[in-house]
Amino acid sequence: MKSFVYHQPKTVADAVRLLSQRDTMAIAGGQDLLGAMKDGLFEPGHVVNLKSLPGLREIRETSSGLQIGALVTLTEIAEHPVIRRDYTALAEAAESVATPQIRNVGTIGGNLCQRPRCWYFRDPHVHCLKKGGDQCYAARGDNRYHAIISPGPCYIVHPSDCAPALLAFGARVTIASAKGTRTVALKDFFQMPDKNLKGENILQAGEIITQITVPKPPAGTRSTYVKVREKDSFDWALVAAAVVLQIQGGVCRRASVVLGGVAPIPYESAEAAKSLVGKTVNVQTAAAAGSAAVAKATPLEMNAYKVPMAEAVVKRAVLAAAGVTG
Amino acid sequence: MPQQKMKRVKTTITVNGETREVEIEVPDIEAQWGDPSNMRWLGKRIPRVDGADKVTGRAKYTYDIQLPGMLYAKILRSPYPHARIRSIDASQAERLPGVKAVITDLTREVNYVGEEVAAVAAVSEQIARDALKLIKVEYEPLPFVVSPETAREPSAPRVTPQGNVRGGNPRERGDVDSAFSRSDVVVHEATYSVPPRSHCCLEPHGLVCQWQGDKLVAWASTQGIFSVRDELAGALNIPASNVRVICEHMGGGFGSKFGARAEGVICARLAKMAGAPVKLMLEREEEQLATGYGPGVTAKVKIAATRDGQLIAWESETYGTGGVWGEASVPLPYIYPVPNVRTRHFDISTNIGASAALRAPGHPQASFVMESAMDDLAHRLGMDPLEFRMKNDPNPVRQAEYRLGAERIGWQRRNRTPGAGSGVVRRGIGMASAVWGGGGGAGSRPTVRIGPDGSVEVRLGTQDLGTGTRTYVAAIVAEELGLDIKQVKALIGDTDYGYSGASGGSTTTASVAPAVKMAAMGAKERLLATVSQHLQVNPADLVLADGQVTVRGGSARTLTWKQACALLGKEGIEVQGEWNPNLQGSGVAGCQFAEVEVDTETGKVRVVRIVAIQDCGQVMNRLAVESQIYGGVIQGLAMALHEQRLYDEQTGRMLNPNLEEYKLPGSLDMPDIEAIVYDNPTGKVSGMGEPPVIPTAAAIGNAVFNAIGKRIHSLPITPAKVLEALGKV
Amino acid sequence: MDDERDKKPQDTPEEVDASRRTFLRNLGVSAALAGLLSSGAILEERRAKRAEAETLQAPPAGAAELRGTVRITLNVNGKSHTLEVEPRVTLLDALRDGLGLTGTKRVCDRGSCGACTVLLDGKPVYSCSVLAVDAQGKRIETVEALAQGGQLHPLQQAFVEHDALMCGFCTPGFIMSLKALLDRVPQPTEKQVREACAGNICRCGTYNRIFEAALDASRRMRRG
Ligand SMILES: Cc1cc2nc3c(=O)[nH]c(=O)nc-3n(C[C@@H](O)[C@@H](O)[C@H](O)COP(=O)(O)OP(=O)(O)OC[C@H]3O[C@@H](n4cnc5c(N)ncnc54)[C@H](O)[C@@H]3O)c2cc1C
Ligand code: FES
Ligand code: FES
Repeated sequence: MKSFVYHQPKTVADAVRLLSQRDTMAIAGGQDLLGAMKDGLFEPGHVVNLKSLPGLREIRETSSGLQIGALVTLTEIAEHPVIRRDYTALAEAAESVATPQIRNVGTIGGNLCQRPRCWYFRDPHVHCLKKGGDQCYAARGDNRYHAIISPGPCYIVHPSDCAPALLAFGARVTIASAKGTRTVALKDFFQMPDKNLKGENILQAGEIITQITVPKPPAGTRSTYVKVREKDSFDWALVAAAVVLQIQGGVCRRASVVLGGVAPIPYESAEAAKSLVGKTVNVQTAAAAGSAAVAKATPLEMNAYKVPMAEAVVKRAVLAAAGVTG
Repeated sequence: MPQQKMKRVKTTITVNGETREVEIEVPDIEAQWGDPSNMRWLGKRIPRVDGADKVTGRAKYTYDIQLPGMLYAKILRSPYPHARIRSIDASQAERLPGVKAVITDLTREVNYVGEEVAAVAAVSEQIARDALKLIKVEYEPLPFVVSPETAREPSAPRVTPQGNVRGGNPRERGDVDSAFSRSDVVVHEATYSVPPRSHCCLEPHGLVCQWQGDKLVAWASTQGIFSVRDELAGALNIPASNVRVICEHMGGGFGSKFGARAEGVICARLAKMAGAPVKLMLEREEEQLATGYGPGVTAKVKIAATRDGQLIAWESETYGTGGVWGEASVPLPYIYPVPNVRTRHFDISTNIGASAALRAPGHPQASFVMESAMDDLAHRLGMDPLEFRMKNDPNPVRQAEYRLGAERIGWQRRNRTPGAGSGVVRRGIGMASAVWGGGGGAGSRPTVRIGPDGSVEVRLGTQDLGTGTRTYVAAIVAEELGLDIKQVKALIGDTDYGYSGASGGSTTTASVAPAVKMAAMGAKERLLATVSQHLQVNPADLVLADGQVTVRGGSARTLTWKQACALLGKEGIEVQGEWNPNLQGSGVAGCQFAEVEVDTETGKVRVVRIVAIQDCGQVMNRLAVESQIYGGVIQGLAMALHEQRLYDEQTGRMLNPNLEEYKLPGSLDMPDIEAIVYDNPTGKVSGMGEPPVIPTAAAIGNAVFNAIGKRIHSLPITPAKVLEALGKV
Repeated sequence: MDDERDKKPQDTPEEVDASRRTFLRNLGVSAALAGLLSSGAILEERRAKRAEAETLQAPPAGAAELRGTVRITLNVNGKSHTLEVEPRVTLLDALRDGLGLTGTKRVCDRGSCGACTVLLDGKPVYSCSVLAVDAQGKRIETVEALAQGGQLHPLQQAFVEHDALMCGFCTPGFIMSLKALLDRVPQPTEKQVREACAGNICRCGTYNRIFEAALDASRRMRRG
């Protein structure tokens, strides 16, 4: 790790002012960033410690929903009784992240803003497209863990487990910059590589997430997060799905289906959601939602397996969310 | 003195983890371990004597050695798979404050990503890392190849001047072609493969080197303190007697830690140049790139049996991947005798660094190939796969183990027809076998010392890899002298103690234990001789047990241990032991049964239960032997489902040189494991550290076959491969 | 190909690095390879220069900044220690190299093995992935703190008796993860035990015995 000047701002205004300067990066829990700095992937001369900011560590329940400070840890989210009850998919997603040690330190803000795990991107010696090089090595290389849905030219998958769950609940993020704050729907936060090759979201230099707002789900909402990985003791999702359903009188009134591990962003499948609305959730309708979710998949050479897997994961998540045994 | 009776025996010697057999002449001395049921320590469950040190963090591993004025070293490694080094400019690094020594003369050509190019020593690890970045290397990248398949193509870049494909001499016995063409045989042909796997020792390779004048003291994380000594002495051109190597505790080797290796020589040189002690421990990425790996193999096989299930012919063509010059042969056909055999083995050169021995070199690979083929052939024959093996395995120990294992796993519950179950999650049961030598070799020179104050010490320059060497060394002496194990101090891990060989090939126990036993017997004989003079009785009438010396036949004259030792005079006694082949034996047998669940929608395999049975002749420490079985099974499970070193063909770089994408299973992936030490009353001790890793992957593969009726022909068995085999991709 | 690349707008100078290109072209490397490898040293030098220029800018008022070597105080195992570290030093390195507490092990240095697990305010964390400066003001517990007055902690005792360790290099990390569990959940189920150490890797393969040991320790602790 290159040596750096460590800034401890006491206000968000100070933090974003510092962050608007060159060669400067924000650190929250550091569970992603420190590793990348050790690898020499990033070598900022200045690091701004968001942990020194007050007021970003609370989970607040309001009449309209939840406000989660960007510095809330994943453990806090996974263990929060209200989140477990009313926002089950989020609690389950947070709990599925990495390991107890990482969840005790890693923050929700960092989870949303963490960088991709693509092995070409992470190798500081490989100058790939995302880093300003002239080719995506995954397109022709070992792409077993890469995207099955991407407009190109880059095929990373978004690594966050919490993002699909938050997106499925219609969460918004509050972004602070020198100009003040704004809130953006999470679905408009993430960007496909054809829009933004170097980053994965709309954040500009000098911007940070301060808070995540999750609207209160309507009565009858049930949700779950299903993650398939090669091994159970910490692993990234091969495929994951967050499913939020509102069920009334046995019929699905509203649905959102967001997949992880399949695209450069948490991938919301409107087709899958649409296929469920107005139907009774059963094995057939759940399976149909699974098929709808992968209808647009165009797998690469080594990751076609993710297509049937995603179908199954969506089907299971739908059934589990609805409390129907398959 | 009567002429010493001599005996010619076959013994094993281990060089860099590869075990060879040689014949030597040794004294033929009667000695017996005795009946385990009469023993207080041996064969019982003995908690390891250094356990408390390890659980408290007191145990000092090489990584933990800190010396006054110690510097930290780091190695600059090639980012290219193949390149000529045009120039190295380290002047900026040399000028960085805190840098004390720089080496740039290591090589002019690099052959794999991670090969050593330069090294620095500095006052802190951070400064050493900073300094590496200031070294400017001009590389001329050269053509490379990292995939063994590509390397075999005629147009592939040549990795060695002789080309990329080496070996291939056919080995043949019987009449293979006519056996295969007989009308009463069933033939099965397939290709199976195992990828290269990393050792992933938790403590990395590394040393701390300190010069005292022209003498070198080196702490090393090693499986062979004497092999490190000899290699350092050779490389530094100093007498071996000027080098002392210490390894009190070490964090895993699995075959990768013999010799000083490049980092050892670099560390010693930097320490000499800087005039200060230097610590050089590799980082995880370096561990993955440059410390070897178990070679991969691809095997095209053809196997035949008569309709009633008698193996009759085997033919295989195997391709091993062991780096530029590595040899990666596999013992095929494995375990089950076949009368007509033709094998050809090729070694494929690639730019991925040299392979190293990895726990039971070649055997887990051979097991996966052979046992998969056995199961597939049994299926074709319409035979129960266990019955098929029992028919073809002449080993009586394994025959008994088969019956035991079948009962413990509930073999009758398996699918009669593979894949016959229904539902999304399918269960299956499979099994496979293991064979290993486990005999010892001559050379260990332990000393047992009894002090006049009653203190007992046993000293030997062996090392404890976590296998429990230190514990049984103490236990053998305690047993012989009738003492509590706490009264015996076992000093190991220092070349200042008597010579002992490297720990590899599961030869340690069968080499060390007999020699320690002989030393302890000698010490006992000397002690009892003194006591017998004192008590005026025949030494044969003395009994040494429970911390006292008694006289047989009801005499009331009893000496406590302390009283007896007080008779020894100021200097006490010190007796050296030598290896005694009569106390050890070779040829251990094992088998394992696995039960799995396969999720046919996600392709994920969950191992539910493993029954692992292993014999090792006379058991020294049952607790430790069980631990070795657990460990073997768990590493075998990792091999079955997760492990593979992945290289990128475009860049020649390893894609997963870490512990994140190089996947090792953890607590949530563990099956229920039943570890059974099969008591085989040979009266001879054999090693068994390696064999429990051999059959696990094959047993799991066969269980998957039993569950879904599809064979996964290559390891690891990933969800992607399962979904593909099920026709879902 | 190479020339075309030269014409690309240099939006991020560090990524399209002229000196690196020249350097590689001089060697007659193909364009594909030239794109592949960034020449660490040169890049580094440029970054260093830029960082230097950057640091000349005045920091905004009100924001503390840690620069160079800083003096920190760590509360480790109930004792206060003062040491000097750069901000980039991890808690793990501060404990091992700074305070000589080598019971905590370094294996991956990347948050993927658990050998460096310590407790921060009672919660297990990877000390390799926490900066030492950030651990100030927190209660830090390492494996060295467990045995009291020569008496092993019941968890340690159980590890020894069940032979829940072989080489022992992973052991301190497992013990700390499980100590945190037992402090919180005195009567855990096996599932909870497995979950508590899901962030720890053991290459020797001691997991099953670790589960036994943890459950046994919990029984002993309840008996007192
Ligand atoms: C071995 C391992 C396994 C893992 N497994 C998983 C997994 O299964 N699932 C998963 O989702 N994650 C996983 N992770 C990633 C894990 O680091 C994140 O989940 C964690 O939440 C990151 O949070 P942090 O606070 O530590 O982020 P940091 O490392 O501090 O920051 C990450 C990035 O986000 C930026 N950032 C942080 N906070 C903000 C903010 N408020 N506003 C703007 N930018 C910000 C930082 O600048 C940095 O670029 C794993 C990590 C490791 C090392
Ligand atoms: S050393 Fe910290 S997690 Fe591996
Ligand atoms: S005991 Fe060796 S790694 Fe766990």
